[in-house]
Amino acid sequence: PQPWLPGPVSPPAACRGLAASAPRCTTDPLWKCRAKYTVRPVGMKKTGGRDHTGRLRVRGIGGGHKRRYRMIDFQRLRYEEGAPPEPFTEKVINVRYDPCRRVRSAGSADIALVAGGNRKRWIIATENMQPGDSITNSPHIGRMAVSANEGDAYPLGALPVGTLICNLESHPGKGAQYIRAAGTCGVLLRKVNGTAIVQLPSKRQMQVLETCVATVGRVSNVDHNKRVIGKAGRNRWLGKRPHTGLWHRKGGWAGRKIRPLPPMKSYVNLPRVKAMD
Amino acid sequence: CFPGVRQAQWLTKTKLVEGLPPAVQGIMDNPDLGLQELEERAKHAVSHARLWDTAEVAPRREQYCPVLFENLIHICRLMSGKYPSLSKRMLARNCRIAATWERESTLLQVRGLSGILMNSKTPIPPVASKEEILATKAHVLETFYPIAPTIDLQEVNVYKELNDTGKSSCFRDGYPYSHPHTLFFLESANVRTDRFRPEQLRAKMLMFAFGNALAKAKALHGNDHKVLEQPVVVQSIGTDGQLFQFMVFQLNTTDLVSNDGVKNLVWIESDQNLYEKAQCVPEVKKGVVLKPAGISGFQPDTFKKFLALYLHGTV
Repeated sequence: PQPWLPGPVSPPAACRGLAASAPRCTTDPLWKCRAKYTVRPVGMKKTGGRDHTGRLRVRGIGGGHKRRYRMIDFQRLRYEEGAPPEPFTEKVINVRYDPCRRVRSAGSADIALVAGGNRKRWIIATENMQPGDSITNSPHIGRMAVSANEGDAYPLGALPVGTLICNLESHPGKGAQYIRAAGTCGVLLRKVNGTAIVQLPSKRQMQVLETCVATVGRVSNVDHNKRVIGKAGRNRWLGKRPHTGLWHRKGGWAGRKIRPLPPMKSYVNLPRVKAMD
Repeated sequence: CFPGVRQAQWLTKTKLVEGLPPAVQGIMDNPDLGLQELEERAKHAVSHARLWDTAEVAPRREQYCPVLFENLIHICRLMSGKYPSLSKRMLARNCRIAATWERESTLLQVRGLSGILMNSKTPIPPVASKEEILATKAHVLETFYPIAPTIDLQEVNVYKELNDTGKSSCFRDGYPYSHPHTLFFLESANVRTDRFRPEQLRAKMLMFAFGNALAKAKALHGNDHKVLEQPVVVQSIGTDGQLFQFMVFQLNTTDLVSNDGVKNLVWIESDQNLYEKAQCVPEVKKGVVLKPAGISGFQPDTFKKFLALYLHGTV
């Protein structure tokens, strides 16, 4: 079975106790060394914006409430060991707030504990996911498009054109890396001989193989962008430190830009791709 | 989050009946037990365990739970003046139980320290009648599709399929008190997250009672899978010092591979409070005593059930 992370993260030789002249590592990411998947929350160490040398790399991070990391399975079609690669259903047991999803730009999507067969895992919950729902995951692409319910995971080739999707993969089997923030959704625009074209929430278009799996629906916690922080203290609880007070005159980088969309990003390695816009 | 007793029912092929069996109810309603004085003694026992037994202000759960249990057992043993066969019982602590069985192509086993075990010389007579046993054939075990019933169970490599009631580890052969009568489970961890929730405690009681019964049945009748003519009955009581769970388990069959046929039976009476609250210091607000110190809300019924389960098999 695949290890959960790409092997234990080996800290640089300096922090293994050898007195070398390399910069000593003050924060070992040793809490990330868990190879086996587990549902229980794992204690994590905060970095405070510091990188492996111990110096500040990113400003404005630090403090905040303690969090425990819940390992989230982004690969929906992960089969259990010994299970055949065919469609399977899972049942949603619990939908809860994830404290680790409160990164500054991405929203705090809720996570759902689902159980199927002999294992439980955490996945990103879609809007309207309630405890007790059943969701299906299927790898098959039929001739006719499947009428998908919200929360199910199908390959893009099996979904009808125009469905709202989330948790998209760029390569089949890689795990969802796109459209994971709260309330986001992509639209499946069209399907072109073996590939599918999806519009991401930034209005950019992306071309992927149609065997890439995505879940149907919008990501949960839709009203996330409408909430008001209210006070400076709440930002500090989230782990964001204040900005500098120094007044800068803004340069050419500031302000709204109006420009044409960047060209469509294609993750399909075809020798000569056909006409696309 | 996941109901424990339902999963335990599937794993042990058992049908659940709410409430205690009529035989035990009959013992409870028997008037010449002299329950009035025993109530007084029981109240004293609770007060002793919860209020008086300590040098600090309030005893912690690790302390008061075993003391309460000892006191209740002491009161029950006082009845052996009336029923001399009660003296043919013994208590064993920390004995290891091991039982293996196959359940629809998965090999399951129960291993571990089974709490406090009370053995007796004579087995408990079967509680359910033959018709009830045959009627369980029609009962269908519930499935938890899409979740497999073996979820959350530890996967271990088994090198020996062990089945013993502690015979090889705790008791020698030819031990006179060889029939498991009742199991007691005390949840006495101080921190609430270390204790089992009532639902999980009931599931643990069911699994251990089943393990004991199965090991005893295999010792008596051999290892083949068949319906037992003499069902084996094991009782169990679980508590965390305040809430009591009572359970009577009857093993009717050792044929657990298939899902149909005769099923085992279990009678569960859950979440019986022995007392509502035990105040160590009186709660005073602005000079007015709101709650006086002492035990409030004592329920004699719970103690009656405890006593009835203890006396079951001899009365």
